[in-house]
Amino acid sequence: MNLISKLLRKNTSPARLVGFLVSNLIGLAIIGAGLQFYLDARSIWQKEDSFLKSDYLAINKIIDASHTLGNASAGFTPQEIADLEGQPWVKRVGTFSRAGFNVHAAVALDTPGGGRSMSTAMFFEAVPDDFLDIPGGDFSWEEGATDVPIIISKDYLALYNFGFASAAGLPRLSESLISGLPLRLDLTSDDGKHRIQMVGHVAGYSNRFNTILVPENFLQRMNAILAAGPQGEDEAPSRLIVDVSSPGDAAITPWLAERGWEVAGDKSASSATYLLKVVTGIVMAVGCVITLLSVLILVLSMSLLMEKNRRRLHSLLMLGYGVSVVARPYWRITACIGAGAGVLSIVAVLLLRSYYLPPLEGMGAHPSGLWLTLLLIVALTLMVILLNSLSVTRRVRSAWR
Amino acid sequence: MNSISTDYHIRSIELTDMLPEVFVNESIPHSEVWLTHLKFERGRHYLIEAPSGGGKSSLMAYIYGVRTDYKGMLQFNGRDARDLKMEQWQLLRRRHLAYLPQELDLFPELTCIENIRLKNDLTSHVDEARIDSWLERLGIAGRRNTPAGRMSIGQQQRLAIIRALCMPFDFILLDEPVSHLDSTNNRIAAEIIAEEATRLGAGVISTSVGNPLLLHSAINVRL
Repeated sequence: MNLISKLLRKNTSPARLVGFLVSNLIGLAIIGAGLQFYLDARSIWQKEDSFLKSDYLAINKIIDASHTLGNASAGFTPQEIADLEGQPWVKRVGTFSRAGFNVHAAVALDTPGGGRSMSTAMFFEAVPDDFLDIPGGDFSWEEGATDVPIIISKDYLALYNFGFASAAGLPRLSESLISGLPLRLDLTSDDGKHRIQMVGHVAGYSNRFNTILVPENFLQRMNAILAAGPQGEDEAPSRLIVDVSSPGDAAITPWLAERGWEVAGDKSASSATYLLKVVTGIVMAVGCVITLLSVLILVLSMSLLMEKNRRRLHSLLMLGYGVSVVARPYWRITACIGAGAGVLSIVAVLLLRSYYLPPLEGMGAHPSGLWLTLLLIVALTLMVILLNSLSVTRRVRSAWR
Repeated sequence: MNSISTDYHIRSIELTDMLPEVFVNESIPHSEVWLTHLKFERGRHYLIEAPSGGGKSSLMAYIYGVRTDYKGMLQFNGRDARDLKMEQWQLLRRRHLAYLPQELDLFPELTCIENIRLKNDLTSHVDEARIDSWLERLGIAGRRNTPAGRMSIGQQQRLAIIRALCMPFDFILLDEPVSHLDSTNNRIAAEIIAEEATRLGAGVISTSVGNPLLLHSAINVRL
């Protein structure tokens, strides 16, 4: 140890430095574990509808007797859409367009004991393409193609498998099986004069939209050929797709309820994600407060140490030593303890994670990577060290005169 | 300073209408330092005599940049000392201005030789043999490994003189350097200081309250 360190480390209090180390470790570990838990746990709710961002809501009017019996419109007027677009939690609004023709679908099932075929009447809807995010262009249709991708509601499959199939003695179908089956589609105009045959395949399942979606350009083209009148112009859209800044926003539900509108599909996922965000936020805020307090402890204990050594600092500066040389022993203490707390907090986060990960995976979570948490802890550690180093430098300069 | 170059030297230290702020509202007797113009030149020796409380230590502290509570102007080579930044002062203290404060400012927990090394490590100016010869001549070679705090005040004063010499300087500021020394040690200290100053072509500014450093051919200045 050189003479400067020998002089300036006098009066160092190990207890105070350990106090900082422990409190900084706790603070950083809470922040790190909070973030990592959030990243790991959110996949429980986010794995559905991978082709739709979780921030989309489908909104419709609640159907009551006035819609069924009276002439109240279940569609949204341009004024109502503009009103919705004006809300602060809305980023953009798209409309569902519907088919103005009849759809009949049939599927051939090769079951043991002979082939059976099923057929059903159905309908198509479409949303603007930019609301869907399916990689590799799986959900697109080109002019002239006879193959059409379809997204159907998961509920329909469940209704078939657990309701219809068991009652009618038909085989149950898995998602992957259905996806591999070609659907024969018969598209006919209302007056029966025009008819087009297509082959459909299921490109995905949705938990959130109770509808059957086809690419928008396909629907527009078919409407142009088969529909009696222009679709979407004379008729108000009955469903809207809304891109919101946060699906858990507390302002959304009362605003919709006031107008007699509702969010379609499963809402518990977005509420759960919202709750997870809030709880994570609280935990991380507590971690931040503890970290800040620990920084304060280090700043204060370094200040106290330097105040006790003030005469020595002054004498060294009087001899001509530069500020950086005099500050170096304190910088070193700060950096060692700060880095120690950082490393130990990473270890603590890994330990905590090994405890919570098995049950979380049991609930269907896909663990996320660690790099974001590591980056945050490293950044915070550097910030703690930098803040303290600046405070040390200021103290040394103040001892000059 | 405007010198990273090694050939920079403080050729003169000029005092113009200087007065410690504490004296501003007092009537002070005639002085050759305060409220006048005084120029210290490199290569010359000055002895500043004054009664206690005349502001000798203040003058030394002003020139060394420790204090700035004065009126008037202090200049190095015509440049106002108030314009110097902290880093520039630190450079002066390593290369151009040596200082022996009245309170000595030694580190009592370090040994005699460690106190000297603390300065010499910074400047790498003097070799071990010369340090040993100075310790020998001043009669404290036997205290080499004694903590400074356990040495007598006279021994500490001799140690502080050696430490002050462990740098290249243009001026050496000595604040009552021999107040605790007998005339023999005073004479030896004066010899060593004069030798080193002559070798470097440096100026010596020494203060006293009646026991002056025994420098030959020094200019006497009355504070």
